[in-house]
Amino acid sequence: MAYSFPEEVLEHVFTFVTSDKDRNSVSLVCKSWYEIERGSRRRVFIGNCYAVSPAIMIRRFPEVRSVEIKGKPHFADYNLVPEGWGGYVYPWIVAMARDYPLLEEIRLKRMVVSDDALELISRSFKNFKVLAMSSCEGFSTDGLAAIASNCKNLRELDLQECDVDDQSGHWFCHFPDTFTSLVSLNIACIESDVSLPALERLVARCPNLRSLRLNRAVPLEKLPYLLCRAPQLVEFGTGAYSAELRTDVFVNLASAFSGCKYLKGLSGFWDVVPAYIPAVYSLCSGLTCLNLSYATIQTPELAKLVSLCHNLQRLWVLDYIEDTGLEALAASCKDLRELRVFPSDPFGAEPNVALTEQGLVSVSEGCPKLESVLYFCRQMSNAALIAIASNRPNLTRFRLCILEPRVPDYLTLEPLDEGFGAIVERCKNLHRLSLSGLLTDRVFQYIGTHGKKIEMLSIAFAGDSDLGLHHVLSGCESLKKLEIRDCPFGDKALLANAAKLETMRSLWMSSCQVSYGACKLLGQKMPRLNVEVIDERGPPDSRPESCFVEKLYIYRTVAGRRMDMPNFIWKIDKDTGFRLS
Amino acid sequence: MSEGTMAVVRPEMKSYIWVKTADGLIQQVEEEVAMFCPMICREVIQMGMGSSKNYAISLPQRVNPATLGLILDYCRFHQVSGRSNKERKTYDEKFVRLDTKKLCELTSAADSLQLRPLVDLTSRALARMIEGKTPEEIRETFNLPDDLTEEEKLEPLRNITDDPRIRLLNRLYARKRRELREREQLKNVEVEEEHGDERSVDDLLSFINGGNGDSKGVKVTKGKKKNRRRKDQPRGSSSNNENGNRTKDSAVGTFSPKLELDDGDIDDELDPAMKEELDREVEDFARRLNCVWPERMQEIRTFDQESRRLLPVPINGAGSLKRYTGLHQRQ
Repeated sequence: MAYSFPEEVLEHVFTFVTSDKDRNSVSLVCKSWYEIERGSRRRVFIGNCYAVSPAIMIRRFPEVRSVEIKGKPHFADYNLVPEGWGGYVYPWIVAMARDYPLLEEIRLKRMVVSDDALELISRSFKNFKVLAMSSCEGFSTDGLAAIASNCKNLRELDLQECDVDDQSGHWFCHFPDTFTSLVSLNIACIESDVSLPALERLVARCPNLRSLRLNRAVPLEKLPYLLCRAPQLVEFGTGAYSAELRTDVFVNLASAFSGCKYLKGLSGFWDVVPAYIPAVYSLCSGLTCLNLSYATIQTPELAKLVSLCHNLQRLWVLDYIEDTGLEALAASCKDLRELRVFPSDPFGAEPNVALTEQGLVSVSEGCPKLESVLYFCRQMSNAALIAIASNRPNLTRFRLCILEPRVPDYLTLEPLDEGFGAIVERCKNLHRLSLSGLLTDRVFQYIGTHGKKIEMLSIAFAGDSDLGLHHVLSGCESLKKLEIRDCPFGDKALLANAAKLETMRSLWMSSCQVSYGACKLLGQKMPRLNVEVIDERGPPDSRPESCFVEKLYIYRTVAGRRMDMPNFIWKIDKDTGFRLS
Repeated sequence: MSEGTMAVVRPEMKSYIWVKTADGLIQQVEEEVAMFCPMICREVIQMGMGSSKNYAISLPQRVNPATLGLILDYCRFHQVSGRSNKERKTYDEKFVRLDTKKLCELTSAADSLQLRPLVDLTSRALARMIEGKTPEEIRETFNLPDDLTEEEKLEPLRNITDDPRIRLLNRLYARKRRELREREQLKNVEVEEEHGDERSVDDLLSFINGGNGDSKGVKVTKGKKKNRRRKDQPRGSSSNNENGNRTKDSAVGTFSPKLELDDGDIDDELDPAMKEELDREVEDFARRLNCVWPERMQEIRTFDQESRRLLPVPINGAGSLKRYTGLHQRQ
């Protein structure tokens, strides 16, 4: 080695190399770097809990302090993954309790977390600091009570959109009086009341509290007390934002908000009473992050609120904002990076708001830093998409959700191939894309040709034939996650591109045209893939091999077959035709 | 230290200490500057070294004369107290603009002299040289051997676009279009090439029963319908300009977009005789791929009709769409 230096020095250099991607690159350089890197790795990200086993992780990285694990496929958010599919965190906790006594952080997404797991966490890691669970389920407030009681050094408890079995709000009282280390608390998804006195005492005695997101049950009148005890807050989520219209309540609230000089992020706002919105006006110019995705505020107030937030970088809002509100946003918020517009009435037959493609076009014109978009709407045109693409070639995430499947360009009745084609061609750094509307194989050709940096692609009700899927699998070099539903994609493209699947994290296909025979072949030929056929109609062997499977989940793994599959998942083994799990 | 008998007046009246590098070279360095290094500081204060040539401080092996010079430059700048943070930062940024070899030597030397701030500075600079690079690039930058086995790397090394099956499919699809466009008979030439590869495709697709029907026309007709619509659009529309732009970038794509985009036009201009020939072409192509086009088409069409009756389920959202609608459906 020409440029060599002692291990400790190299290790010190590696402490400044923090991103997972870079650390992975470092570990692949040569034997000695591999060894040094693995010994000094402090943080591990596991994108698919079944791709690797706890034992393998622990063996390779003995000094980990922070673990992030993801479980169910993304389409679980749309109820496409049946109950009982898997994603249990307990085996991970057991292994880490034994071998990572110094573990400090656990972050989970779409995993099933039991009360036992929470209990074990609370007792096993003396220096435990961060528990962040996003879209998790399987635990109750009893598990939370264990965390509150036992984690003496807890800094962060973040329950983001979790499905918690609410026994009672009493768990909250388990934080001991000596507990003062809290920095971030997010209980927004808890439905039951938490004890308000306990909450107030907790907030008052934690001087480092930076982020507090309350649940709906905390009444508006209680906010001033909390805010005055925590003027150092950087992020705040209200509870239900409604009360009787009373001047004193308003004045208290407005005054309390104005005392929060460092507040950058606001959320909450369930059940909004519009008259109370002006209470936050004093904060607006400092806000970078505004989450109004539960706020049923209508256009005039909404537009006014948003246009006061000149430094806004991230806005999540319901489609009540309408095109006019988005125009106001485009005019006032020149620093906007991310916009998410959610539907207020997705299942309604007729549009309930005046939100069209024009709103998004306005924002793309007016906000030069816009890079991330999630937009639900009912109509779109190729012209609009092409305009968006030429306005914003710096887009990195573009997710368009036209509510009705297979809706064409409403102006020309053409498919939206050209529009999305423009997006992938212009936006060279696009790494996440979701398609909707009427689309033919042509759009996939464009994606395969231009979408070289796309890492995650979501497709539904699109395409004409296997050629579509073939374009994507053979063209998208950076593809990691592909999720498809209700598309006429079948065996040929999948089998021809079998090798590609090993370079990706996962592939989900539901209501497509992949035959059981193809699944078997794939499972038999590709030992490093787990091919899981999810079929609730009974054993696939009881039907002809050419019969399509309901759902298919394929992922690469070094952990082999998983042992915790429910009876409606049929694993393809390389030894036998199929095996009951 | 031994300035009393100076012949030359040294205006700054600095004192010097003696150090020796591993190559045997002994030299004097400014005491004030050198003492910035904890290791040297300790040698002087605790061990009483450095006062004369015979008692020169032996520097660690990793400190060669050139590197020592650099380190002293760093110390000379930073040991002056009056400087602002901005000044120091600017100096540091310029200071680490060295080639990789020098930077590595410097990091190593600074570490052996226990000069923490310089170690951090150079380590960060090295980290920046590592970030964003592939393992191969890192190996090149640092001149490191590629001694991990493929298994150790645990990455499928196959370049997917080289996969023979992919190449075959791409070629067949591209060829179909070429034929439609150029209306030439290329079969005789191609068949020989593909024969060898075909076997691997057959192996993979062998369970699908071959078969061909006569409803290729369905596919072509479908294509035609689209073209009719497109014809209504003015030729000079923005979407066509987009198409034009797209043809530029075909270097990386496995398909040549130019061929694709002319597809639509071709179908429209076909006379019936040519259409018949095309149908036969597509049939032949399908047979070669050993696939079931008519059945698939039938299935696709039925599927299509059925699914239009499905409730439009919102897709691709941020999750928890149910919450926005007040429907908590966690089945």
